[in-house]
Amino acid sequence: MIKISQLEKIYRTEEVETVALNKLSLEVKEGEFVAIMGPSGCGKSTLLNILGLLDDPDAGSFVFNGIEVAGFNERKRADLRKRNIGFVFQSFNLIDELTVYENVELPLIYTGVKPAERKKIVEDVLDKMVIMHRRNHYPQQLSGGQQQRVAVARAVVNNPKLILADEPTGNLDSSNGNEVMQLLTDLNEQGTTIIMVTHSEHDARYSHRIIRMLDGQTVMENIMV
Amino acid sequence: MIKNYFTIAFRNIRRYGTHSLLNITGLAIALAACLVIFLVLQHERSYDQYHANASRVFQIVKKEVKDGNEEFYSGVAFPARKALSNDFPQVQFTQFFVSNGSQITVLDQENKITNQKFIEETGVFFSEPNFTDFFDLIWIAGQPEILNQPGMVAISRSKAEKYFGSVERAMGKSILFDNQIRLQVAGIFNDPPTNTDFNFQIVPSYQTFLSNSGVWGFEDAIDGWGLSTSNHQVYALIPERTTADQINSQMGTFVKKYYRPEAASKTFHSLHPLKEIHFDTRFGNNGTHVTSKASLNTLLLIGVLILLMACINFVNLSTALAAKRSKEIGIRKVIGGTRSQLRAQLITETFLLVLFSSVIALLLSWIALPYLKYITDIQEKLKLLNPGSFLFLFSVILITSVLSGFYPAFVLSNFKPIAAIKNKINTSTYAGLSLRRILVVLQFSFSQLLVIATIIAISQMSFIRNADLGFSKDATLLLTGSSDSVTIARQTGFRAELKKIPEVQQVSFSFDAPSSDNNWTSNFAFDHKTEDQPFDAHIKMADEAYAETFGLKLLAGTFYSDADSVQKVVINETMSQKLGMKNPQEAIGKTMKLGLQDWLPIVGVVKDFKNNSLRETVKPTIILRTRNRASTYMSQTNIKLKTSNPGKVLGKIEQLWNTHYPEYAFSASFLDESINDFYQQEERLSRLYKVFAILAIIISSLGLYGLISFMAIQKTKEVGIRKVLGASVSNIVLLFSKEFTILILVAFALAAPVAWYLMNAWLQNFVFKITIGWWIFAIAILTSILIAWATVGYKAIRAALANPVTSLKTE
Repeated sequence: MIKISQLEKIYRTEEVETVALNKLSLEVKEGEFVAIMGPSGCGKSTLLNILGLLDDPDAGSFVFNGIEVAGFNERKRADLRKRNIGFVFQSFNLIDELTVYENVELPLIYTGVKPAERKKIVEDVLDKMVIMHRRNHYPQQLSGGQQQRVAVARAVVNNPKLILADEPTGNLDSSNGNEVMQLLTDLNEQGTTIIMVTHSEHDARYSHRIIRMLDGQTVMENIMV
Repeated sequence: MIKNYFTIAFRNIRRYGTHSLLNITGLAIALAACLVIFLVLQHERSYDQYHANASRVFQIVKKEVKDGNEEFYSGVAFPARKALSNDFPQVQFTQFFVSNGSQITVLDQENKITNQKFIEETGVFFSEPNFTDFFDLIWIAGQPEILNQPGMVAISRSKAEKYFGSVERAMGKSILFDNQIRLQVAGIFNDPPTNTDFNFQIVPSYQTFLSNSGVWGFEDAIDGWGLSTSNHQVYALIPERTTADQINSQMGTFVKKYYRPEAASKTFHSLHPLKEIHFDTRFGNNGTHVTSKASLNTLLLIGVLILLMACINFVNLSTALAAKRSKEIGIRKVIGGTRSQLRAQLITETFLLVLFSSVIALLLSWIALPYLKYITDIQEKLKLLNPGSFLFLFSVILITSVLSGFYPAFVLSNFKPIAAIKNKINTSTYAGLSLRRILVVLQFSFSQLLVIATIIAISQMSFIRNADLGFSKDATLLLTGSSDSVTIARQTGFRAELKKIPEVQQVSFSFDAPSSDNNWTSNFAFDHKTEDQPFDAHIKMADEAYAETFGLKLLAGTFYSDADSVQKVVINETMSQKLGMKNPQEAIGKTMKLGLQDWLPIVGVVKDFKNNSLRETVKPTIILRTRNRASTYMSQTNIKLKTSNPGKVLGKIEQLWNTHYPEYAFSASFLDESINDFYQQEERLSRLYKVFAILAIIISSLGLYGLISFMAIQKTKEVGIRKVLGASVSNIVLLFSKEFTILILVAFALAAPVAWYLMNAWLQNFVFKITIGWWIFAIAILTSILIAWATVGYKAIRAALANPVTSLKTE
């Protein structure tokens, strides 16, 4: 599903040049659950952003679903992104001005799903995430665990092929954290590919494969049994 | 999608309450100002455009070139109408004799005088029946043909109701015009709309004027080409597919045919479009005011500037807010929102804010409209809601939404999603900062421009009010009298009685006061020369008490006296100089001859006084008494009072008037007030400037307040660190104020020369004017800085007083 090779990303300011990704190559197959680990600044967030089509690489190739996307402009990337990729963030990143229902509905609006159909899909997902009873609440009125469940619901509402999770449990206590990890595992079992950046060895154990990064390169891969 | 945009827009407006409030207030004020300005422009531009034949109607106007100067006249000689019809048979002509300040007395069934006496300042047009082909008028009784006969009059519905109670009762009744001409009401028409300079109220037949021209002293002028008065006007209705230029090109031949050769060489006639009459200050009109296109354009410019300022506020506040909203924008992008979708959302928000502001603006305009008469020439109430104003408001809402919504939408939608989510965007990392500086500078330039203009206009007006006119204008009462011989014959008795009132110091009779809007001129010869002087003399008809009543100062000789057996004249200083006299004394004993009169000796020279408004130069003037004591030219009674509280005496004077002139309505005015009336337009203009300067200051202060609020949030960390390092409160406040002070100084450097240029041009309207002093600019810059400091101060001090521990925790 994902094949990247010789990927480079360099951040430049006037005086400093930081190599975030250094000729990195990686392949992720459909239905995999991959965890990416490594110390702060190793380039894992940059990798996730490029995988998520939020950022473009300076050099190298990125084939997504058989299409080379490295040279895509913003419009094309946004189009591909909203149909194929869901995001889950450490800090949930829900829109404070929108209710639970509206937050989950938003990706469907952007992909142009009809209102009647939207209602059905959103209610389905909220049911599945056991957050239906909170549908009219605003994010600030929810606990961290509940917020992250909403975020996951929003990430999967478009039925994406790939979910990218950036430390999804980082702001949660352990029981809420486990709940979210279980959600992701369930999604993966239903066929969604998941790539997750994490600092937590515990969370990483939910994955099939752990990729460890240092200084913009992969240094080790552990296959989980 | 749209519903979602609206939901979000509403919630964002609520969430960023202060921001929304500042935006809405600023926009509402600006939109209200624009709407009111639009209504004024709409009204002014609609003057006399409604007549069915408006584009084919022209006034015959006259230009004379004398002494190198062009003089413009709206009146033409009495025989012109007939001559024009002869020479231009394809064109239809009509003529009016317009009478101002006429007295109408209502007569009863037996045609006896009743107590109902009215002074009709305007609206009396002696007309020919065909005038309704030129000017639209709806007749509700009778028809225009009644104006073929002398002694017939058509009146408006409102006059019919005022004089007789109803339209039905008015028909067939009679009124007495100026106590001399009996008129029978044979036609009634609906009152013309307010947007006309031809406010027909009382329309006697032109035949009536012809058979009574002596009442106005025109009996000798009816057949001559030498005299024209703005009271006699001729209009042309040209055929379709004929242009005014075609007629104008033949006017030269026309003038040569009828005028004396020496007059023909300097006289020019032309067609002046009806649609331009309201806007041409050269000619004047029969209405309440002339509005120059330039002053309409000034108003338009002010409206546009005010709206721009509000848009600038909007852009400033919205881009400043962008930092706060970056997370939302980032998330929307991550989950698939495209740039165009985000732009649509942000513009929807702007649109909603503008829409909301315009509702408030409608309310504000509704409140403001009744006060319009204090700052404009429009005295009637304008309709707020009309198709034009709706269309205007709709377009302004759209334009404003695009102007103020586009840039912030563009900036925000271009945020990089990841940086946006992580709040790594602050207002200085995108181009907004320097742009906002430019916008603040522009805004302050506008408001300082208006402030400087206002100060200059106000000081010029106060200069005018306190200017030395060369005569005393205080405590002087002017009574308008009739001009018939019976009235004049009673003057001596009236004066004797008046002088018995202890508060009355002096009484004189004259044509007008030393300063008036009268512009009576005559050609004249000097010192037994056969040739006329190259310039005209300004004529003042007055009796021997005139100089004393108005405190005119003699420089040489004496004023003529009651005992004089022959007619004598007094001239002013300017006349003496223009005649080449080395000093006033030299003029004494010389003679002058006005028109076809006798040679008259100059007995005195008075110090110059201002003949007209201070817009005009002092004119070479001759003061003289008419040959016969009983003269129609001396119908005004001037009463100099000793008291500072003239209100008390007014009653006594009115009583005396009523016993001496029972058949005449009492009409009195104070000289100082009528002099102030000369400057009504300028007074209103200066009030207008004042209002808009205040609005501009409010709008720019709102913007400044918004900006400083965001700056305070942005600089929270910086302020914390500085305080930890030992900065005092005043250091911090200075940190905030410094930048804005510099921006205001830059704005001032831009505004000051422009303001100087524009206002200097405005001052050129006045012959007597202030010089624009440096202090005017000093006041402008100081006020701006003080207002900016006051605006910035509160937020700056609050930021400075904040506990550094909490400030630093925000990171």
